Amino acid sequence: MSIFLEDITKYFGSQKVLDKLSLKIKKGEFHVILGPSGEGKSTLLSIIAGLLKPDKGNIWIDGQLVNELPPQKRQIGFVFQDFALFPHLTVFENVAYGLKARGVKNNKLKERICFYLNMVGLDMYRDKYPPELSGGQKQRVALARALAINPRLLLLDEPLSHIDAWQQEKLREDLKQIQQNTGVTTIYVTHDQLEARVLADRVSILHQGRIEQVEPPEELFYQPKTGFVANFIGATNILDGYVSKMNDNNVKFKIKDSDLTITVKKYPIFQDKRQIRLCLHPEKIILSLRPEKENHFLGVVEDIKLLGITARVNVNIRGLKIKAIVPRKHISSITRQTSVWVCFSSDVPHPLCGRCHRLPPHLRRCNQCRENKQKSVEL
Amino acid sequence: MRVLHLKTSQTKLFDIGISFIAGLFFTFIVLVLITLMTTTSLHELYRQMRSSVVISAVWISIETSIAVVLLSFIFGFPVAYLLALKQFKGKPFLETLIDLPIVMPPLVSGLALLILFGGTGLLGKLLNKWGLNIIFTKKGILIAQLFVASPFFIKTVREAIASIPQNLLAASATLGASPFYTFRKVILPLSKSAIWAGLTMTWARALGEFGATAMVAGCIPQQTETMTIAIYMGAMSGELATASALALILVVFSFVSLLVFKSGLKR
Ligand SMILES: Nc1ncnc2c1ncn2[C@@H]1O[C@H](COP(=O)(O)OP(=O)(O)O)[C@@H](O)[C@H]1O
Ligand SMILES: [Mg+2]
Repeated sequence: MSIFLEDITKYFGSQKVLDKLSLKIKKGEFHVILGPSGEGKSTLLSIIAGLLKPDKGNIWIDGQLVNELPPQKRQIGFVFQDFALFPHLTVFENVAYGLKARGVKNNKLKERICFYLNMVGLDMYRDKYPPELSGGQKQRVALARALAINPRLLLLDEPLSHIDAWQQEKLREDLKQIQQNTGVTTIYVTHDQLEARVLADRVSILHQGRIEQVEPPEELFYQPKTGFVANFIGATNILDGYVSKMNDNNVKFKIKDSDLTITVKKYPIFQDKRQIRLCLHPEKIILSLRPEKENHFLGVVEDIKLLGITARVNVNIRGLKIKAIVPRKHISSITRQTSVWVCFSSDVPHPLCGRCHRLPPHLRRCNQCRENKQKSVEL
Repeated sequence: MRVLHLKTSQTKLFDIGISFIAGLFFTFIVLVLITLMTTTSLHELYRQMRSSVVISAVWISIETSIAVVLLSFIFGFPVAYLLALKQFKGKPFLETLIDLPIVMPPLVSGLALLILFGGTGLLGKLLNKWGLNIIFTKKGILIAQLFVASPFFIKTVREAIASIPQNLLAASATLGASPFYTFRKVILPLSKSAIWAGLTMTWARALGEFGATAMVAGCIPQQTETMTIAIYMGAMSGELATASALALILVVFSFVSLLVFKSGLKR
């Protein structure tokens, strides 16, 4: 394991921005920290780089405690959100800055800078000044400058947020490629989940100063574990209710404020009469003109929004509003106000069982389950 | 620069009004200059420029004002750097302290300096022991001008350093640059034009300084008599020819220097 953040706490005045945040990142991993604006992503990166001091907590890099190391000695490449290029230096001089500060000279310097300028595709622009470059080019200079010091760790703070949309895709691909080629351990923070999906080996969600869930993107985006994560990634079908009947392989789940009961695969935390929240991922729902799967309910289409090759369909099932994201070609026969079957198998809904991973393994019991247990006792 | 063409009768009227007022103001300045030029004949000017009183006054002024500019840079830059980049208790107090010499009447500054560096003053006693006498010497001119003029440099440079984006300094640090390397390669080049502007203002202020200098250095002809003091003494003792000649030299000299500085700044 290459990076270990241990119980990082940071206050600005009385505002607690980071709250005992812990996170482990493997060597060579492309790790994306995803979170809404103002949640402390930039603050966290500054702390890792040594630009800010945490109030509490430890930062380990390759097993070395770096808390007391100044930023100059941490050998961490930092790509700032606004690029932070030196406006009075040429592209070449910007990229060479770190090596020159280390006393590397002449041919060796030139060779290495040309290598990195080539890598980011900017060898033609070496004598230009930053104000003469486009956003994407500035970003590439910033990346080359950070990589040129051969960093132990690369930090990127929303590197695509100031870039025109049409340049973003190419930059994303190049960034991923360069990261794979260099193998540098990377932490990338963003509020954009598309970037996280495309780039990350693993994604963590930052919320209220803590990491709420850490997983590879395909799991995180399809199995959100908390209500916040589910909402944030757009899995907004959150069903409140309670287990109404326990069977051998599945349970019946009665949805609150509705007369619907659905069949759900049996999870260990299910107990009879226990209150619980389920997430029904919109991309796992099938809309059909015939009933299919274990769960199928007839509803009325309220709204259709086309999103490229998929479409978002809002369906009202006897008062329960469900959002489905389906391939566009599947809904050619569906329009507003038509009736449609909302179908999903019993292993689609999964419980939102809280912030289990935040605790050490031996303490992992989910808060929400505990709260619900108390509630069900009261019932 | 982009020029917008919004010609309507209303904007025309407005332009005429603005130009008229601006014209009045320029006329005022030009009148002052013309007065200076017409009180002295070319012949008289030539004669004055060879008088030892005038030559020594010009020389003392140039010497001291340039020395003050150098001293302002040496002492002022660290102050500006500290105030711009470091956070510490009592910073607003220090910032106000820097403003004080600008708003204090020069006579008051001069009086305070006179007492401080005088034979019984705190610093005067100390310096006397080392055989250094400040009062009524050229060193006194330096001290007086430095006190009055250097805040202009400090304020200008402090603003410039404070306006350098924090991220540039952070980037420099993560790239492994020591604070001194960052200072040389980022802070200094990015505040270059402010440094020039600040030095120019300080120089102009030092050249025109009168009250504090007169208090501390006295008005000893050909020893501590700067141009401004010589002008005052000349005017008061009825030697208007000397006074106006010096005044003209001072104005032309300042004007040309400012022009040179300004064009240097643009490049
Ligand atoms: N230097 C600072 N002083 C005071 N508050 C700050 C400072 N930097 C950030 N904050 C506050 O900390 C919170 C997190 O900021 P930031 O790390 O920039 O969030 P993000 O990068 O996720 O948008 C915000 O509420 C912000 O107002
Ligand atoms: Mg940020």
